[in-house]
Amino acid sequence: MPASLRQWIVPALLAAFVVFLLVGSFQSALFAQQTVSGLANGGIYASLGVALVLIYRATQVINFAQGAIATFTTYVAWQIMQWGLGYWGAFVLTLCIAFVGGIAIELIAVRPVERRGNVLTVVIASIGVLIAVEGAVGWIWGPEIRFMPSAFPVRTYHVGSVAFSLQDLGTIGVSIASVIVLWALFQFTKLGLAMRAAAFRPDAARLVGVRVSWMLSLGWGLAAVLGAVAGMMAAASPSVLLQPNMMDGVLIYAFAAAVLGGLESPAGAVIGGLAIGAMLNLLSSYVSWVTPQLLLPAAFVVMLVVLLVKPSGLFGRSRVRRV
Amino acid sequence: MIKRTRLTLVVLAAVAAVVASAAVAASTASTPGVTAKLITIGGTFPLTGPAQLYSVIPKAEAAYFAYTNAHGGVNKRQINFKYYDDGYNPAMTVPLTHKLVEQDHVFAVYGSLGTAPTLATRDYLNKASVPQVLVATGDSYWGAQYKKYPWTIGFQPDYPGESRIYGQFIASKVPQAKIGVLMQDDAYGENYYNGLVQGLGAAKDKIVDVEKYDATQTDVSSQVVKLKASGANVFALFALPTQTITALVVATKVGWHPTTFINNVSASPLFMGLAQQSGANVQGDISATYVYDVWNNPNTATSKLYKSIIAKYDAGANPLDANVLYGVASAWTMVQALKNAGSPPTRKGLMTALTNMNQVNPFLFTGVKMKTTPTERFPIDQQSLEQYKGTGWQPFGRLFSKAR
Amino acid sequence: MKQHGLKQHWFEGVVIAIAAVVIAVMPFLLSNYNRSQGATVAVYVIAILGLNVVTGYTGQISIGHGAFMAIGGYTTAILTHDHGWSDIATLPVALVIGFGAGVVVGLPALRFHGAYLALLTFALALAVPQLAKNYSHFTGGTEGLALPTHTGWWLYGVGWSCAAVIYVLTWFLLRGRTGRAFRAVRDSEIAAASSGIGLALHKTLAFGVSAAFAAVAGSIYVLINNFVNPDVFGLTLSLYILIGAVVGGLGSLWGVVIGAAFIQLLPIGLTSSSAVSSEAVPVVFGAIVIVVMALLPQGSAVIVGGLAGLPNRIRRRHSQYPPPRTEAR
Repeated sequence: MPASLRQWIVPALLAAFVVFLLVGSFQSALFAQQTVSGLANGGIYASLGVALVLIYRATQVINFAQGAIATFTTYVAWQIMQWGLGYWGAFVLTLCIAFVGGIAIELIAVRPVERRGNVLTVVIASIGVLIAVEGAVGWIWGPEIRFMPSAFPVRTYHVGSVAFSLQDLGTIGVSIASVIVLWALFQFTKLGLAMRAAAFRPDAARLVGVRVSWMLSLGWGLAAVLGAVAGMMAAASPSVLLQPNMMDGVLIYAFAAAVLGGLESPAGAVIGGLAIGAMLNLLSSYVSWVTPQLLLPAAFVVMLVVLLVKPSGLFGRSRVRRV
Repeated sequence: MIKRTRLTLVVLAAVAAVVASAAVAASTASTPGVTAKLITIGGTFPLTGPAQLYSVIPKAEAAYFAYTNAHGGVNKRQINFKYYDDGYNPAMTVPLTHKLVEQDHVFAVYGSLGTAPTLATRDYLNKASVPQVLVATGDSYWGAQYKKYPWTIGFQPDYPGESRIYGQFIASKVPQAKIGVLMQDDAYGENYYNGLVQGLGAAKDKIVDVEKYDATQTDVSSQVVKLKASGANVFALFALPTQTITALVVATKVGWHPTTFINNVSASPLFMGLAQQSGANVQGDISATYVYDVWNNPNTATSKLYKSIIAKYDAGANPLDANVLYGVASAWTMVQALKNAGSPPTRKGLMTALTNMNQVNPFLFTGVKMKTTPTERFPIDQQSLEQYKGTGWQPFGRLFSKAR
Repeated sequence: MKQHGLKQHWFEGVVIAIAAVVIAVMPFLLSNYNRSQGATVAVYVIAILGLNVVTGYTGQISIGHGAFMAIGGYTTAILTHDHGWSDIATLPVALVIGFGAGVVVGLPALRFHGAYLALLTFALALAVPQLAKNYSHFTGGTEGLALPTHTGWWLYGVGWSCAAVIYVLTWFLLRGRTGRAFRAVRDSEIAAASSGIGLALHKTLAFGVSAAFAAVAGSIYVLINNFVNPDVFGLTLSLYILIGAVVGGLGSLWGVVIGAAFIQLLPIGLTSSSAVSSEAVPVVFGAIVIVVMALLPQGSAVIVGGLAGLPNRIRRRHSQYPPPRTEAR
């Protein structure tokens, strides 16, 4: 296939999918409702997916602990609100705590391992963090399901017979906004430039005076902040709820979103997340042989097919592998 | 050569240590787990992992045993309750149950939680003649298959029995019913579904749509949306707590207002309160209950006793969590059975006590009698319907018992 | 390996002989319960050997070996439960089916590297238990299949005999031509290809062998638990095997037993000990994993190898895995 044609495959596929969703939604209210609630779930997958992408870009590590850290910070937010602070006060305070916490985890659990080990040892360390942090949540806050207020009004609006809430739109909006903020950070600030340099050309970056190790810590801090936002959105959603294992299911689809998007592209993770959310809902309601148990394997097959066609994901740059 | 000698020495020392400890551990009690002063029992529970919501149950049980011990114990013996975390994974339940029996020498395995974990250990315990009693799962197996598994017995009403009541109620009281069912796609859900169909009897064609979800899936919005589209006006919700809350919230959100039936497992006032806070309209929802109504009778002697036990021995637990009350009610049953199991208690004696119950458990719903015979092994057979009004459940109507 | 000479082989022999004697004497000293614990360690030895072949020696990261264990486990469970097979007879079947499954996964895996392969195998680990749940008329669904119980003696004997056989098989496979090809593929695919090593063949073969071992491990795992349902093969299992393999030391066979003991005995020991409150167990275990990674990033193979007087060789081997990163932080 000529290269000029190949570069249009992904936009064409996405456009076709969007047209499919739109046409279907105009044809049937049920279809529209399934799409809307699927996209709302997709927004949650996307938010966490962006955090995964951020760490992967900075360190080439898949962070298995991302979901657990997000859960922990969400509980912190809940706790602060229990102590009497309002939603937005708790929100901002939590983001600060998440930032410091992310850096702390990098310093305590990742850096000592990374210094002497390799990518796989760091992955194992991140699994260690996953086990420890998820356990800590259950230990500190107990197993009960808690109520997490939403950042957006939960009031429902109806367009035709399709119901959606501002919360749904807000969740999608937040995931898109976080991509824009990240993009601006990397594109327009000195700090962003330094972070990019540290990730892609650490030696050269060091030569021009970038403190590479500090930039990596910063990457973990930022990812923890994004995770905290994702966690707070997820916990307020009726389909997740605030409980110690709440991100287990989300993390799986966030991984899928990140992989579909090409692992290094925040925008790709968002599009991947939204697509997976919509697709899962439509599959389960229209394709009868996709039983509830087969939903996850079905998502896996879709991911596999996309990757077989485009091994670097929808938005990954296809690199020549240096071996 | 030197290295090898050193290693050999280390190995020999290790060998000696293990032999010595094994010799100490070997004791020759006539009934395992029973001494002049102590009865050791044990169980496995999901203290961590996806089912950790139920981790409050063993703690409440331990609290009741501590209370019993402080008041003289069982025929002057103290109860020692050991419980381990199996994370709801049978691959952990099996070794830990072996450990309870073979290392900890428990008198009985008590209260272990979950259908699959109980199935995984049932053969072993019955073959070893170790009582597996008052298991915390509502499958009908425990009461029905006693011929093959005489050492196993359950506690709570079985799931099909509960949903049969809903079926009977709908058939007689909701003539225009169009029923939409949301069920977990496994034996848990099927148990409920089959009971519902039996209870409906001739009215079973009133079921217009059945949607299923997988236990690993927390989001059930797509299923609820479909149920609404099916035109159902009765919603039979046979799910776990998380999915139940989600379903209730989503139903309200998409503008579906059916008469909702919620299975007892997921109808704890805590979950209902959470659903309400998250925007669900749960007024008029119907469920069934068999535990004492501490919510509407906060000042009775039973409520006060219950709350004082929890406050003293399980500080931090929420006494209004139905699972905590469940634990105390179950532990009360165990204490009674141990008292009636002989002194010193024997394993046979325990099974005889549990299969010849005829008593009122103060922590169960007023009027419910625990009654078993060697061939009728469902300890709790009566339940009351309840309806959600304001911020709590209001029991109504007569006591239902399983119409077998 | 010739350059190491006789002396080093002699040391190797001593270490292996001691290990063999300890493993053979152990069951006489243990209780029935601890014998079945020992058998579970053997299961993990086999699974980790398998994972080591594909990840340690050919550099293809798999987070999904629990999936292959599930395939073996269900093969054994279904054949014994529904078709009246004797349990031992199912092990070779599990081996063959596991090999087939490994090849099926290994073929598309040729297209993927690094994180993509890791995440796809991760998805596989999640998908296979779901399949088992879905086709419940074969697998018993969540209620599972109950199998006959065995004594600790039987389990220990079967477990460690299989582990020994597979250990020796792996050793022969890896020291010969195939092993050299595997390592060449891991260290540099281009260099390997240009020296005439079939990349696709060797990478797929490694996946097949690896999955076959994991399937046998799964079979014995099911026999030990005398029960199987999808929860038995959850994600935790896959993650634990990976932890065990890295703790043992990838790209080396010395630490396998230590890695296996780490993931079996530590969690269950913590869970049933009274020193740690049960809610704190995951926190403690997670922290230990992190500390071990920080202290022993190359795995415990370094220690065992060191005992055997082979520090140089171990270090050299490890310096090759994985290819050093360009950035030197």
